[in-house]
Amino acid sequence: MKPILDVKGLTRIHGTECPSCLDMTGPEHNTNVCPACGSVVAAANVSFSLQPGEILGIMGESGSGKSTVVKTLYFDQAPSRGSAIFRDDDQSHELFNLNGAEQRWLRNHRFGMVYQNPNLGLNFGISAGGNIAERLLMNDLNHYGDIRRRASELLTRTDVMVSRMDESPKQFSGGMQQRVQIAKALATRPPLLYLDEVTTGLDLSVQARILDLILEIQHELGTAMIVVTHDLGVIRLLASRTLVMKYGRVIESGLTDQILEDPQQAYTQQLVASTL
Amino acid sequence: MNPDYRLPHSQDSYGFGFLDEFAKREIRRVILKAISIPGYQTPYASREMPMGRGFGTGGLQLTLSMIGPDDTLKVIDQGSDDSVNAVNLRKFAELTCPEVSTTESTTEASLIQTRHRVPEIPLREDQVLNLQVPYPDPLVIVEPSEAKRKIMHGEGDYARLLTKLYEDLVKFDEITISHRYPTRINGHYVIDPSPIPRYDVPGLHQSRALLLFGAGREKKIYAVPPYTNAEPLVFDDVPFRTESFYTADGQRRACDRCGSIDSFLDELNLDDGSKAWQCSDTDYCNRQLARTEAGEATQ
Repeated sequence: MKPILDVKGLTRIHGTECPSCLDMTGPEHNTNVCPACGSVVAAANVSFSLQPGEILGIMGESGSGKSTVVKTLYFDQAPSRGSAIFRDDDQSHELFNLNGAEQRWLRNHRFGMVYQNPNLGLNFGISAGGNIAERLLMNDLNHYGDIRRRASELLTRTDVMVSRMDESPKQFSGGMQQRVQIAKALATRPPLLYLDEVTTGLDLSVQARILDLILEIQHELGTAMIVVTHDLGVIRLLASRTLVMKYGRVIESGLTDQILEDPQQAYTQQLVASTL
Repeated sequence: MNPDYRLPHSQDSYGFGFLDEFAKREIRRVILKAISIPGYQTPYASREMPMGRGFGTGGLQLTLSMIGPDDTLKVIDQGSDDSVNAVNLRKFAELTCPEVSTTESTTEASLIQTRHRVPEIPLREDQVLNLQVPYPDPLVIVEPSEAKRKIMHGEGDYARLLTKLYEDLVKFDEITISHRYPTRINGHYVIDPSPIPRYDVPGLHQSRALLLFGAGREKKIYAVPPYTNAEPLVFDDVPFRTESFYTADGQRRACDRCGSIDSFLDELNLDDGSKAWQCSDTDYCNRQLARTEAGEATQ
């Protein structure tokens, strides 16, 4: 089976880049700010592949570049260098060579994103159902009755009370907001879903229910996912393979069990030891 | 307006039609571009006019750059030839365009400048309608950044506008936009058709006359060329509705003045607290009245 996503050499540098940016930053220099030009190397030479239906975890401390990777793949940011091939049915798309309209099409039709902060993923000015409707409308579903039906199905699936469908997500609890975000992301049945710190800031029982939901969705729909988190519990539960990032570099990658049971890098060992 | 004031067009300071020839040429070129890309908001250098922006300077610049001595001009405001805006703009055109005749008759006019209405009498191919536009961009209610709005227009991305309609249906069981109804032109660009009532929106579809929209303050010109599709934005299962003039017992209200039952009516509050309905298009109303009176005279 061919991977659904092939990322090679993904690099994102903020600032006026100089030739020594990549040589003078990274874990071995203990910084991601280039001492020569002051640019911030958010991610450098990140490469990985993702199989259809697989959940890949990216973990690391804050500022390690894990969100940057997902945001460039979701076209929220443009990468400085690198390539990413997305295979969809028989077609393969070179993500960073597409024009704006093609990127928007993929984003709306084939990708889903759940942000840590529901403010980014939801429009609080409109109702929860409206948020889902927006995504369905972007997919050229133009039938009011069908939109209502589909939105209430999705909210039922994600355990949001349908009776509250027409309320603003502002009035929802954090866990419910996250579930509305997941419903919105799933509206178009995307083959690829990005989850950026979805459970951070939620209490443990709500976290558990959201993680259950994510696993159920993966079993039901076979959605491939990239899960970004600093929470080892989330990684252990969801991801079959994991990348560990520090200062914009992937320092370790492999099967999740292997990484958590037998970490090779000193940083990973510290990370695993500090939580277990 | 000072009735004794005359623009010095006898001297060389002002040419025919107040605008200088460079300005006219630019606006004509922009009009051509707007016609070539139906519904696209073409930017132009809106000139200072001797009246505040927002008083119809966009429509007026269109009119003044197109008008010639053999044209007949009609200016209306909310359907009426006699309201302040219409009278002042007509006077200005009379002052600055010698030999141009003005009229109140829709059929006699070759050029019609209008605020907030499309005339009731269907226009012909040899007529041009210039609409004064306060807010040209329908996306402004969902996206504050103009740069992003331009991209959305370019990609035909109107999902968020439809989301607004969805929210209206959820809250009120009805789309609550009374005027400036977003309308898709020629299958791509969605325009703000200026504050015409919903009643006039179907009139834009496959119109025989050229429809031009000028926004002076926002510096945009756009067009609905003759015989072009203009479809109001709706859901597949929620048909577009115009204003209803039916009473609770199913009677179509008639104009209290001319008795017409097929025109757009204004609701008037009378001094005694009661209400009256009258055609908003005064030329149409006068015409109907004359016809009824002539009919009565022959009987």
